[in-house]
Amino acid sequence: MSRLLRRLAWSAFVVWAVVSIAFAVNALVPGDPARMVAGAQARPADVARIREQLGLNATPLVQYARFWKRLVHVGPRIIDPKATSDHATCAVLIPLGRSAVHLDFGKSFQKRQAVVDLVAVRLPRTFALAVAGMLVQLLFGVATGVVAATRRGSWLDRLLVGSSLLGISAPTFLIALLLQYVFARELGWLPLDGFGKTVAEHARCLVLPAVTLGVYGAAYYTRLVRDEMAVLLQQDWVRTARAKGLSPMRVVLRHALRNALLPITTAAGLDFGALMGGAVVTETVFRWPGLGELSVEATFDRDGPILLACVVVTSVAIVASNLLVDLAYSRLDPRVR
Amino acid sequence: MRSIRTRREGPSRARRLAPAALAACAAGLLAVPLGCSQALPGPLPSAHGDDAPPRRGGTLHLATFADIRGLDPAGPVDGLNLAVIHLIFAGLVDYDAHANPVPELADHWDIEDGGRTYRFVLRQGVRMQDGSELTAEDVKRSAERALRPSTPDPMASYFQAIVGYDAFAAGKAEHLEGVVVEGRYIVSFYLKEPDATFLYLMAMHTLRPTCKSAGDRYLDTWLPCGAGPFKLEPGGWQRGVSLRLVRHGGYFRPGQPYLDAVEWTYHMGSIAQKLRFESGQLDVARDLSEPDIARYRADPRWNALGLFEADTTVYGESMNTRMPPFDNVEIRRAVAAAIDREHYRLTQPNRISVLNQALPGAIADADPSFPAQRHDYAAALEHMRKAGYPYDPATGKGGWPRPIEYVLYDKGAFVFTAQLLQQDLARIGLRIRLRLVSYPTFITLQERAGAAAMSPGNDQLDYLDPSAVFEPLFTTASISPEGTQNTAFYSNPRLDDLVARAHREMNPAARKALYREADAIVCDEAPWAFTFGYHFFDVHQPYVHGLGANPTGVFDTSGVWLDRAGDALDRVLDGGLR
Repeated sequence: MSRLLRRLAWSAFVVWAVVSIAFAVNALVPGDPARMVAGAQARPADVARIREQLGLNATPLVQYARFWKRLVHVGPRIIDPKATSDHATCAVLIPLGRSAVHLDFGKSFQKRQAVVDLVAVRLPRTFALAVAGMLVQLLFGVATGVVAATRRGSWLDRLLVGSSLLGISAPTFLIALLLQYVFARELGWLPLDGFGKTVAEHARCLVLPAVTLGVYGAAYYTRLVRDEMAVLLQQDWVRTARAKGLSPMRVVLRHALRNALLPITTAAGLDFGALMGGAVVTETVFRWPGLGELSVEATFDRDGPILLACVVVTSVAIVASNLLVDLAYSRLDPRVR
Repeated sequence: MRSIRTRREGPSRARRLAPAALAACAAGLLAVPLGCSQALPGPLPSAHGDDAPPRRGGTLHLATFADIRGLDPAGPVDGLNLAVIHLIFAGLVDYDAHANPVPELADHWDIEDGGRTYRFVLRQGVRMQDGSELTAEDVKRSAERALRPSTPDPMASYFQAIVGYDAFAAGKAEHLEGVVVEGRYIVSFYLKEPDATFLYLMAMHTLRPTCKSAGDRYLDTWLPCGAGPFKLEPGGWQRGVSLRLVRHGGYFRPGQPYLDAVEWTYHMGSIAQKLRFESGQLDVARDLSEPDIARYRADPRWNALGLFEADTTVYGESMNTRMPPFDNVEIRRAVAAAIDREHYRLTQPNRISVLNQALPGAIADADPSFPAQRHDYAAALEHMRKAGYPYDPATGKGGWPRPIEYVLYDKGAFVFTAQLLQQDLARIGLRIRLRLVSYPTFITLQERAGAAAMSPGNDQLDYLDPSAVFEPLFTTASISPEGTQNTAFYSNPRLDDLVARAHREMNPAARKALYREADAIVCDEAPWAFTFGYHFFDVHQPYVHGLGANPTGVFDTSGVWLDRAGDALDRVLDGGLR
């Protein structure tokens, strides 16, 4: 329990540090967010008025303090979005009777919407893409890795390893374009891009971006699983298991693969956290309106509130997935407990 | 007898062929989408001939490469949302095909007191999208809403000539004194001094009348509502994804608009637009890549279906006149003469046109006798000699002794034109060192005194009048230590006087002469070496009618109608992309 608490405290520190660094970088790099809102041709008087409206006249330290004070705070249980109160850009995080713990990322400079609303809309989309992408990566990667390891040196092994090299080397956008061309334009099986309006359409629109992420990631997992399994299959205990008459399938899946799961879990945990930050290229090519697209736009527009919200979400996702990986270790390997 | 292959015989046939098969597959996969040899599909036919009368109904499908910021005429605008704002909100003033201001919601106007009073008489019976009738009170309320200090309107100060603006903008007055309702359908704008640009300002989006639901305070959550031909219904805008406008049944022009709806899809790249356009899912393609534009233009079936939009931008090489070597006018003249603008044009021949004066194609006076900037290598060398830095092309000796930093960002043609500039200036002894930065950094450096000696300048006309070029870019009044629009920090009392007089001059001929003289001065003293103008190229299916080049450069679909043949529709439903 104390280990878990220590991990949680460390995770909170990591999130704070990452967000603070992001805040500092955002404040230090040249470029006036008010100018980006007003446009390159706006007159200085109009830019100054907009800067005042956005609260950018305050020093970076004051803005930093305001950010943390606002990020998580206690407020009323019910938020009226039309009200011009201090809580108009909040979302209820934890209800506490008549009051509640609020989450507030502020208002987007460019989109002029509560950032928490923007994130709430986009986060599930990115989560869906990350989960689907990870599933494809793991299913294909582990399956091909196991096959390659058990057929080591054969033409099949070389084909799979060669293909994985191609998958790792090919830029994501190229894979995306190929899939679009074949499955959307030529065969017409799947939508070219977009998000759709119904759950069924969302699912159909998700296939190609998920496979794009899958092809790229699966290649990595193929090589990882193959190398791990190749070593494990040479171990004495595997030979013993075979000598005891266990079927080859059982030896591979029950004994060797299970022991190879630790590095796979570590890599998958890190990858999932990164995917939650948004698969920028994939989201852009397929017009999948997730966090990646949002954060790229915010970076170009110097839209600080969105940028910091994306950093918070990404860092929390990575820290949480690492925490889960740590917990999974103890389940997978009793020696870690 | 069948031989039995052993491992000693070498690799199996499959193993030997596997690498070749892999390579062939990869090459094939890579080559197919590039589509180098693929012919363009034919246009989808129109049901009737071009001379058929307009037909009502249908949805026009469009796409853009990016998202839009907002739909409030009083809020921030960009190059994409203006096309939508103009459909939702009609203005008192619009432009005719020749870029002259003409009445829209106004029935007519009177200009009095030598240009200090603009009295607008509104059309009667104009219905807003909420069903109410447009009145002079709506015009005043909308103007005050847009110019109120709490409104994020980036163009509010354009209207500082209105009497009482300063007190209103400072929050010291509740109402804008200079906007006066003089009857249910009459509203007057009283200005501090004569202003010949005011009708052009009124043709912008900023003060377009809003429905009463907008109130007199800007609110981000307001559902846009105006008097334009199309309206936005609740849920019609999925931010970052799509937007659907539907016909405003009470639009004041009888029988219009023809379309039931206009739909935009956002964040659609050029390849996706092309594929969807070819399958009939998009009716107009606007963001095609340069090679694709060339292919469409070269195809006789498509050539007549292309449309060049108006050229309302000014691009040039901005030279900081307060930093060496550009504080020397002869160096600037040398640069203006050294640049071969035709080479610039060739970087994007379908979107770029040569520009050698301050005014873009949409408002330029096409007078061949005008003393514009022209490529003349011998003259450039002579200007370098006069500047005191003669350069000998034969030996490569002479010229400015130090490299000159050129700040740019990676967008459009800049990375290519910057290299052309490097080559052109090297031939006269000016060595340019490129400094590539992000766009926000670029803006900061370019607009700060003493931060950028040279940089690419560009200006998109906010309204179709020469004042939109000369006042922000070249007058002393627009210089400020931070955030200057006069990126050359150019100051010339004679030019200031000409521009100020032209701003007040109500006689069109006299005004034109003043701007011509101003143009000649900036061409000669060259705070900018003007280089090119930029325009969009659209290609549309034959069944899209009424799509014309709008003089403002804003993509205008208000007069479009569709006449799609049944087989074309079937093709989309049966075989198109889903």
